[in-house]
Amino acid sequence: MSLRNQLRIMVVDDMSTSRGLITQALDDFGIRQVESATDGHAALKKIATWPVHLVISDMNMPGMNGLQLLHALRNAPATRKVGFLLITGKVERDIIEMGKKLGMNNFIPKPFRPDDLRNAVEAIVGRL
Amino acid sequence: MSDPMAEIKASFFVECEELLESLQDGLQVIYDESDDEETINVVFRAVHSIKGGAGAFGLDTLVSFAHKFETTLDEVRSGRLKAEGNVLKLFFTCGDMLGDLVREARDDETHDEARLEPVVNDLEKLIGTDEVTGEQTNIEFEVTALSLDLDIGTPEDAGLGSDPAWRVSFTPSSLLYANGNEPQFLFRALRDLGEIEVTCETPDLPHLAELDPEHGHMSWVISLKTNEAKDAIREAFEFVEDLCQLDIAQSQDQPPGLGNLPPADHSGTDEPMATMGGDADLPAPPDEITSDTDATSDEVHPSPASGSDVPTADARPDPQDLEPASAPPPPIPSDPSAPNARRGQNNATPKATVRVDLDRIDRLVNLVGEIVINQAMLSQSVEAVGIPPNSPVRTGLEEFQQLTRDIQESVMMIRAQPVKSLFQRMSRIVRESSADIKKDVRLRTEGENTEVDKTVIERLADPLTHMIRNAVDHGLESNAERETLGKSREGNVYLSALHRSGRVVIEVRDDGAGINREKVLAKAIEKGLIPPESQLSDGEIDNLLFLPGFSTADEVSNLSGRGVGMDVVRSSIQALGGRVSIHSEPGEGTTFSISLPLTLAVLDGMVVRVEDETLVIPLNAIFETLAVSSDDLRTFGPSTHVINIRDTFVPLIDLGTELGYRSPLGDYTGGVVLLIGQEDGLSAAVIVDSIEDQRQVVIKGLQDSYGRVPGIAAATILGDGQIALILDPADLIAQASGRTKPYSAVDPCNHPSDGTTLEVREW
Repeated sequence: MSLRNQLRIMVVDDMSTSRGLITQALDDFGIRQVESATDGHAALKKIATWPVHLVISDMNMPGMNGLQLLHALRNAPATRKVGFLLITGKVERDIIEMGKKLGMNNFIPKPFRPDDLRNAVEAIVGRL
Repeated sequence: MSDPMAEIKASFFVECEELLESLQDGLQVIYDESDDEETINVVFRAVHSIKGGAGAFGLDTLVSFAHKFETTLDEVRSGRLKAEGNVLKLFFTCGDMLGDLVREARDDETHDEARLEPVVNDLEKLIGTDEVTGEQTNIEFEVTALSLDLDIGTPEDAGLGSDPAWRVSFTPSSLLYANGNEPQFLFRALRDLGEIEVTCETPDLPHLAELDPEHGHMSWVISLKTNEAKDAIREAFEFVEDLCQLDIAQSQDQPPGLGNLPPADHSGTDEPMATMGGDADLPAPPDEITSDTDATSDEVHPSPASGSDVPTADARPDPQDLEPASAPPPPIPSDPSAPNARRGQNNATPKATVRVDLDRIDRLVNLVGEIVINQAMLSQSVEAVGIPPNSPVRTGLEEFQQLTRDIQESVMMIRAQPVKSLFQRMSRIVRESSADIKKDVRLRTEGENTEVDKTVIERLADPLTHMIRNAVDHGLESNAERETLGKSREGNVYLSALHRSGRVVIEVRDDGAGINREKVLAKAIEKGLIPPESQLSDGEIDNLLFLPGFSTADEVSNLSGRGVGMDVVRSSIQALGGRVSIHSEPGEGTTFSISLPLTLAVLDGMVVRVEDETLVIPLNAIFETLAVSSDDLRTFGPSTHVINIRDTFVPLIDLGTELGYRSPLGDYTGGVVLLIGQEDGLSAAVIVDSIEDQRQVVIKGLQDSYGRVPGIAAATILGDGQIALILDPADLIAQASGRTKPYSAVDPCNHPSDGTTLEVREW
């Protein structure tokens, strides 16, 4: 039984284009259990009823940004250990440092190719 | 299926338009009010998101420009730069430029490097050319791999995990196919009930040589997880129950259908079969058994492009409706790059919307139009048969009529859009045109959320652009002149939209010098548009601006005055069933009012008869109807009558005469008068023989076949199948001769080559 069949991922991005691109890329890797949310709040709600192994979240979103989402995830017992991959617009030291402190598993700068995404995901969960 | 990437790209461009709109909005807020953090963030995010998407599609020009714009905005976010004055102006220009680049990328056009360059230069003056990209190499980050032994299943166990599993075995007979049924649709219906897995069984499939194409050979085993009762499952097969062998049974603990799955080798994929208790470290999320091997799965799988639509999600309760079971209220860590001062929390939950192809809506609009006609025909037939008014048929029909109207309104609302996008374009026109002639101009908008039919909005862009340019170019004085006059240095152009009695009124107003009537009159005489000795009222002089070929600009400026003038504006607005009027106060400014119908598809009309002709007059033009008594009629001049309406005299117009159906009657006692009102308050009393009915009519344009016919707006098909013309009362009155007395009674020498009515030419 392969990992990609079981892996559940939540994609969080306020832009439907990005959600579409990421979901499409994941689909190409054979990962079908993917849900998406438009912001941190929506993601938390969805995860509460549909637990996931990994959250792939954009940094810059209205309402609750990526790091705030990470913080919320880490502070809830049910999602404390969930994997977190942050998508950043540009690599800013402050963001990465904060991510590190909050327990971010990995990050990937935009724009990225599907292969970059695959590598970033595999670095967290192992070979797909 | 089409290329999922192409679809995503198309949706990216749609999304860009939304982002550009919020970008413009944000800049406007900063311009009008303050550069508060959240607004800057909205602007920043919009640019950032466009850049992100563009990067994914390799739109390099767009990315690099957005990047520079974003970097500059970031300077503002960090407080190193103030968004005011020239910087803000530059941001507006950048916003426009970004919009252009997006559209160029969308339409595969090449962009104009020469236009982009000065803007980029200005940006670089603010941020410098040396990009700080080296920083990322210095950041150390160690990936934390996930030990996948986490327990994620708790809420799921309680909810979905307990959905009972069913095993449905389904063997269609050949008749099922012969009757036009399609197993795939049945599976789709089942998918609505819950999570399904479909397996095709082909043990009976004969060798190709012996295969009878008319004969069914396959059967399916469907495992279905649902809360629904057995009957609900059976219901999906309701129409084919006699045409197949159907067996619906509750599965035991054993994963449903698994034992019956055919060997994996027939599927042709190399994916291993899904089995329970696999050897991966990852615990299977409960009840999630997926099989990639299934030959039929393609048919029930959603397209990969819509990732959020996986069938597993369908059976779940909408997570939006549920409170998070375990997630605490999100604490907010301090984040240096994105301040948390979020005031616009409401934008965190965008309204759910569906994007629909415009063609589909138009088809719907047309169909609704047909329903309206059919309903009217039906009503008439019922009437003709002589069914008593309180019979169930009549009441049913009335309800039907009401419903038809409701449907129609709802459908029209789908096509309606706020004028905001249009106003934003005008804001750009003002910025660009005022910069060109070095005037300080501010556009003030009102009623941006007023909704108008999409087509109207689209076709209004050109005339409105022209009017706005006119206001900036001709309407407003120069900066210096304004100061001398004691006005604010900055000129104001006001653009407003509002709904008024079933129409939408759009006003373009400036606080400039007003129309120079002497100049206009002189020009009109000089151009031979009116006779030299003409005595015109102020309003009539103002209306000269609408004459073809009229232009007062002393020198043809770059902006307006290209020879095409307000006459083109007026004809394009008339083509939309609208009217435009002008009002000017010397020294105070000029106002253009455009009045438009809300929709181009139907209108409420009054059906009238004149000389056995049936005509429709738009209801919203009619103020009042009354029967004519001879006491009310007064002779006015040699050929016309006026009618006394509560001590106000209104000119009488005989519709039959104006349309050439008859000679003036002279005596109109017994006729019916419709009082027609117009934007500028003028009214006329139009006389007809009788009023037939008041009803909704579907507008069928004549434009394509006949061009513009003076006084006629369109045509319609009435309930009895008869075709009737829909009048344009304002146009009709403007051109009316007003003759209501028989020719014999008039001295032919005294025929008015009157200076009192302005002749409006049609073209």
